[in-house]
Amino acid sequence: MYGKRKLTRRGFVKASVLTSGTLFLAACAGGGGAAPAQPKAGEQPGAATEAPPAIEMPFPMDDAARNPLNIGTDPIDGVFFSGGFGHDYIVYAAQLVEAVHPGVKVSVKPIQKVAEELRPRLVEGNPPDVIDNSGAGQFNTTDLVNEGQLMELDELMEAPSWDTPGMKVKDTLFPGSQDNLKYDGKQMGINVAYTVSAIWYSKPAFEKAGYTYPKTWAEMLDLCEQIKKEGKQAPWTYQGKYPYYMWGIVLNQLMYKAAGNDALIALDNLEPNAWKNPDVLRAVQDMYALWDKGYIMEGTAGLNHTEAQAEWLNGKAVFLPCGTWLENEMKAQTPAGFDMTAAGVPGYTDGKGSIDAVAADGGEPFVVFAKGKNPRGGMEFLRAQISRAAAKFFAEKVSSIMPVKDVTGMQATEGVKSAIAVVDNAKGAIIKFNLPGWYSSFGKEIEQRTGELLTGVIKPEEFVDLMQKKADEIAADPEIKKFKRES
Amino acid sequence: MRHGKNRFIVSFLGIPILLYLIFVLIPYAGAMVMSLTRWSGVTTLDKVQWRGLANFERLLSDDKFWNALSHNIIILIFQPIIIIALALLFAALFTQGLRGARFFRIVFFFPQVMSVAVVAILWSFVFHPTMGILNGVLRAILSPFGVRWPAFPWLGDINTVLPAVIIVAIWQAVGFYMVLFISGMQSIPDEFYEAARIDGANGWTQFWRLTLPLIWESIRTGVVFLAIGAMDMFTYVTVLTNGSGGPSRAADVLSTYMYDQAFGGGNNTNPFGYGTAIGVVLLFLILGLSILSLRLTRREVAEY
Repeated sequence: MYGKRKLTRRGFVKASVLTSGTLFLAACAGGGGAAPAQPKAGEQPGAATEAPPAIEMPFPMDDAARNPLNIGTDPIDGVFFSGGFGHDYIVYAAQLVEAVHPGVKVSVKPIQKVAEELRPRLVEGNPPDVIDNSGAGQFNTTDLVNEGQLMELDELMEAPSWDTPGMKVKDTLFPGSQDNLKYDGKQMGINVAYTVSAIWYSKPAFEKAGYTYPKTWAEMLDLCEQIKKEGKQAPWTYQGKYPYYMWGIVLNQLMYKAAGNDALIALDNLEPNAWKNPDVLRAVQDMYALWDKGYIMEGTAGLNHTEAQAEWLNGKAVFLPCGTWLENEMKAQTPAGFDMTAAGVPGYTDGKGSIDAVAADGGEPFVVFAKGKNPRGGMEFLRAQISRAAAKFFAEKVSSIMPVKDVTGMQATEGVKSAIAVVDNAKGAIIKFNLPGWYSSFGKEIEQRTGELLTGVIKPEEFVDLMQKKADEIAADPEIKKFKRES
Repeated sequence: MRHGKNRFIVSFLGIPILLYLIFVLIPYAGAMVMSLTRWSGVTTLDKVQWRGLANFERLLSDDKFWNALSHNIIILIFQPIIIIALALLFAALFTQGLRGARFFRIVFFFPQVMSVAVVAILWSFVFHPTMGILNGVLRAILSPFGVRWPAFPWLGDINTVLPAVIIVAIWQAVGFYMVLFISGMQSIPDEFYEAARIDGANGWTQFWRLTLPLIWESIRTGVVFLAIGAMDMFTYVTVLTNGSGGPSRAADVLSTYMYDQAFGGGNNTNPFGYGTAIGVVLLFLILGLSILSLRLTRREVAEY
């Protein structure tokens, strides 16, 4: 006999239920911290009826700007993509809304796969009020527009801005930054970030090696030759598994600078033989030269974006194409003193497009669902999100740019300042290449073929032929809704 | 009592069958209906439009569909046979009563214990052009001969990405079938082998004429499961190619193409109708393949 206490089956079951129950409760308590953040701006829990402490706003808000959209006290349900920019800037905007509208609760839920998580809510007919539709798993905005799911935001655009007294929202934003969310002339979303597409390098290391940033592409290729000969670093790398970084940042700008805006308009409008333009071919050949002359770091094609960017930060390559999300995305891995700097894509002195032009566009689209419980609340949230206060927060805490004018008094990094300088230098010559965004099947095609071009599988002449073929295919398909631009 | 017994059986089967109905059969039926429609996926269900067999007609002329199917066929030809051959080899080796056999049996089974996604991520590091073991080993082996092995992108090259995916699947599956065959082999009485040896059979003949036929049912199970698995491959391809199906879709398979059509944003006009159409085709292919495998491997089993 084992003594008075015997392990009976009953005893075992009781013990295991108690243990697992305790563990389960502990996990709930511990895991609760990962649940959706409820920004309270310093409130104590349970003090919902008290006015929240006034949040300090760096720019003035006049009375006309307090509640122009006439929202009540209904809660605002927001679900947002949280990626390279994080979501602190969204929480900040929610705090602004709660401070100015006492009694309104803004819920901020950060997620990664937007379409996957929100599709069931759309199918049931119960979408959130406002979302950040970004990231790899985003909804196709065109589909949402075509199915009438989105609220038109023209009322928001005409409303007084949050903290630029006397100006309407639409006038406080960088010109052209919201164009890619205009469908048939109506504003269907707001681009909260302004992304400058540029070539990045470490200025201190660059200057130490005695290089000068090239003005023309020919000079770029010469510099690459010099870097290659010195053998310490590869001249270029890019985010191999995502050729977007090359066609969406380098090729589009080269095409503009070589062939001019009219040529790009022709490409976007699916005109026959638009890709057969000899200047377009010239740009493709010039980008291909990076592969052809061996200027691309070995193994690049197999790297994903964070890996390629990490290699660049470790000094394995000099130049990297990227957008202004780069700094925040790689914050944790950037070595001290790297001081990443943005510069324009070198162009042509004899090109048809301005040599200083830049591809910069609104990004990080936020949309309001028309069938949400509180779409007007969603609009008010957006009004706060694109205020000068939020833009200052974005520049200082996220090291990136919002398309908001006159954000004075920023303490920003070299990366932010150089990106703004590139935009200023362009003097309004903004490069647009809408084709891949308008027709996602074209987007996939150019993604695939650019990867093939930059690994030597196809040549520039084949590339333009394939692009023309795809464009013709889309033009001929009556099922695909067509877009056009004039300028 | 007969009544009591039937009621007892039905009461136990009731819930599982209900679950099967709700979570398997009804979605299958729903998918088949959806394959006859056009739906963007971002509206309530009243906006679904009827299309009849138009989606299937479109499939016939879709290059990417045939591309994906061809890869499934390549996988089907090579993968199951290599897995079974290797599993038989290891099973035969590790039932010889050699010292340390038990250790290897445990170690070879490890890949099965890991989740498929973990295995795929592990191998994506092995195949990594600069940080991967494979390139590292090749570099180390070849450098004494003065050959500089480049940072070859195994998963970024159209010729090697599909073989790489197949190798990963083989690596994970062999352990399971090895254990399956070992348990089959261990239930064969020793007297049979003694009798065979007395009759003058050598090792190979014993294996071919005695072991193989007696574990045929296990092999048959393996063939069917592996054939079905060859038509799946979703996790391996998605993780190893980052969802893109490989450079120029060189490793795209039907399951990843279907996912891409429905959720990848690659086709504006009909993500869910066309995606489910691919799914329906895949369903019938797998059903047909399973029936075929079972038929072709049928033989009379010796009772002992």
